[in-house]
Amino acid sequence: MTAPEAVLPGGRFAVVRASPLAVVGGAMVAAALVLGAAKGWQSLAQATINGLVSGSYFALGAAGLTLVYGVLKLVNFAHGEFLTFGAYMALLGHSTLSLPLPVAIVFGVALTAVLGVGLELAMWRPMRRRGAGVLQLLLMALGLAFVLRNSIQIVAGTDVRQLGANVTASVTFGGLHIGRTELWVLGVALVVLLALALLLRETRLGKQIRALSDNPELAETTGIDTEKIVLVTWILAGALAGLAGIVYGASVGVVTPNLGFEIVLSLFAAVIVGGIGNAYGALAGGILIGLVQEWATLVAPASIKVAVGFGAMILVLILRPQGLLGRVRSADR
Amino acid sequence: MSDPPILEVEDVAKRFGGVRAVDGASFSVARGSITALIGPNGAGKSSLFNVVTGFERPDGGAVRYDGRSIYRLPPYAIARRGMVRTFQLTKTLSVMTVLDNMLLAAPRHPGERLGGSLVFAAAARRREREAREHALSLLATFALAEMANEYAGTLSGGQRKLLELARALMLEPRLVLLDEPLAGVNPTLGRRLLEHIEQLRADDGTTFLFVEHDMEVVMNHSDRVIVMAAGRVIADGEPQAVRRDEAVIEAYLGAHA
Amino acid sequence: MLAATYGIFALGLQLNIGTTGITNFGQAGFMAIGAYAMAILVVREGWSWWWAMPVAIVCAMAAAVLVGLPSLRLRADYFAITTLAFAEIVRYAANNWRSLTNGNQGLLGYNADWFKLSFRFGNWLNDHGIHVTSFLFPLMLVSWALLLVLWLLVAALVRTPWGRVLRAIREDEDAARALGKNTLAYKLQSLALSAALAAIAGFVLAMNLTLLVPDQFDPVFTIFGVVIVILGGLGSYVGVLVASFLLMTLLEGTRYIGLPLASDKIAALRFIIVGLVLILLMAFRPQGLFGKRKEMLLGE
Repeated sequence: MTAPEAVLPGGRFAVVRASPLAVVGGAMVAAALVLGAAKGWQSLAQATINGLVSGSYFALGAAGLTLVYGVLKLVNFAHGEFLTFGAYMALLGHSTLSLPLPVAIVFGVALTAVLGVGLELAMWRPMRRRGAGVLQLLLMALGLAFVLRNSIQIVAGTDVRQLGANVTASVTFGGLHIGRTELWVLGVALVVLLALALLLRETRLGKQIRALSDNPELAETTGIDTEKIVLVTWILAGALAGLAGIVYGASVGVVTPNLGFEIVLSLFAAVIVGGIGNAYGALAGGILIGLVQEWATLVAPASIKVAVGFGAMILVLILRPQGLLGRVRSADR
Repeated sequence: MSDPPILEVEDVAKRFGGVRAVDGASFSVARGSITALIGPNGAGKSSLFNVVTGFERPDGGAVRYDGRSIYRLPPYAIARRGMVRTFQLTKTLSVMTVLDNMLLAAPRHPGERLGGSLVFAAAARRREREAREHALSLLATFALAEMANEYAGTLSGGQRKLLELARALMLEPRLVLLDEPLAGVNPTLGRRLLEHIEQLRADDGTTFLFVEHDMEVVMNHSDRVIVMAAGRVIADGEPQAVRRDEAVIEAYLGAHA
Repeated sequence: MLAATYGIFALGLQLNIGTTGITNFGQAGFMAIGAYAMAILVVREGWSWWWAMPVAIVCAMAAAVLVGLPSLRLRADYFAITTLAFAEIVRYAANNWRSLTNGNQGLLGYNADWFKLSFRFGNWLNDHGIHVTSFLFPLMLVSWALLLVLWLLVAALVRTPWGRVLRAIREDEDAARALGKNTLAYKLQSLALSAALAAIAGFVLAMNLTLLVPDQFDPVFTIFGVVIVILGGLGSYVGVLVASFLLMTLLEGTRYIGLPLASDKIAALRFIIVGLVLILLMAFRPQGLFGKRKEMLLGE
């Protein structure tokens, strides 16, 4: 527990609780102040902007991952490949089918959603029916990741592609740069994430999803159509992942078969930091990991920023395994 | 009883999320006694067991075993000090044989250290032989000797309960906490189990605290009865007295309402 | 020959995943630590190869304890992710800590001692009528011998009372704790042993490659190891031997199939095959080749 414990004489125990979000928020602000003072406010601001951009696609990717986990208790190691798939499908639409870019994006997103559903029907549902164990499913997801990634590689080749977006045009204000594409990325991500949050909170569907992930046994007895919700979850997860892949591809400018795999561990970090199974947590976690990674570039060589992100994840796992917004489940110990 | 109690539970509280599973429970267990812990479902009995045996950390209160606080002691250390427990949903190891389940429990086995079987080979072999004999005799008491080489997973529910008890006894404990030891066990074997418990108490002074729902067993085989409801102890005394206690009757009726 | 490397590597994984139930996905990280520690000690510090190896093994074991202490109490999937992240951190560190590891330009020169030994061994073999075709032949013999010895050791260890506790932990850790076993200590021991095995596998790999580069220690290595463990059967050590051989034959075999595909596509195809093997195994025969079906059914 992160909560400090007071031991009173006679072996009595007492516990004081503090809000995790407040603690982390405070820590982040403190870190920001230190970094800003040490490295200059300009650099801090630039790094923060970069962090928000990467945080936004982390959040998109993490949201899908955590939704699937929440509803199915499946750690989808193949999620990164969904991102790659989405990016490639958009590429297909734009380059090969000559669709205008926005349409190609929708195309990519939709096809990834289809992939998610297809896999559910072909693989996950039959395995669940057979009572497959957690380890089995985990390993299947791993195998699936291999198959997907390398199939894409076989079909599309390892050449680096571009998503056709203008990566160099940027907007400057107050001495800070932000690429035009990245501005778009931020905007799109913001809109989509808000829409997701609203969906989860207000719509009946969203409430059912949350009910199913919080307490599956209870949810089933209240007459929720589990199978339908599962399908919807996969649609959402697939779509979000596809969008995340497209957005990431646009943001870094290149699309390769390893696109998803490159950031999948950061996605896991975001999910875990935010609290696995909790979609809001994924949003917070994504932004956090994005910020942590970019801030790290102020003090360490850029090539290890991803490792710093992992470090943050490991730290969270040690101090508070259920993540920032997760609830303690007895299985978490 | 002039001896200090072997177990003292003082104002223990345990919360799960918003639910107060244990809400200020206090009682003590005298050495060499057989005490029953009863109460309607959801009264917090299993949670209390978990706290007392170190599987959960309490949110308040104190627990003392043999005069010493068990605060922050991990479950294995508590077991080594002589307080062992069984589980309501038995934790027999299905992929191991019945005999292996028993041998696993043998305490102070040099072979269980990493290099133990190599460095202390003779001692390890000796301990294994002793453990084997002890295990087989315990298994015989519970009529499980013929199943010694079967996978524990093939045992019936009642047999698993017996195995779990036999296994716990391998540790030569001073205090045994039994969580519904008779559930699913046929009456003959159940009687045998109770006889064995009483014998252990008479011969070795082993203390027993068990959770049970079978009132006949509780009334006839326990020295004292502790009643829990809604996370608190609402009655504590001799079986006959508790049976007539109004608060107890209300708790049970309320639970059935 | 790669089979022997993978075999030793997978022995450790089997000890962790199959016997103790801890999903260690960071095995490649331990292997990297072992190999790099040895190489650094020899090349930069001028140590004798014979001393560098045991010290490198100790390094890997220490890393295992460090990693395990905070993370072993996590659930299986979290532990898997954490160890995977650890392996990646090791790889990143190796890539970026140029002063120590020369980054991805690689370290070389650590195998001078081995070369001499290998040469002498080759000559000895030749003298005794065994025709040595390649200079890697002695390494292959040694690595297979090593694999067999280690295999016997580990298989014997698992049958001891110590191994019994490990198996109990795999099925139900709480039961073991309730019986007075300090499960964290056991899990740490299992992890440390496995790291030692990984380090040894790392030595073999390093000797094979003669140039040590961080990207060798990709998580893919660990995944292959996991596939071997599963293919052979969780908990079966015979399975590890057989499966390493099988898998390597399968993978190397595809190199020689005359497919009308570019080489990088063939490489991708091999991965697809591995992935499919994993999926199909999990779907239709989760106990692998030598696992006991009964145990699988009872254990779930």
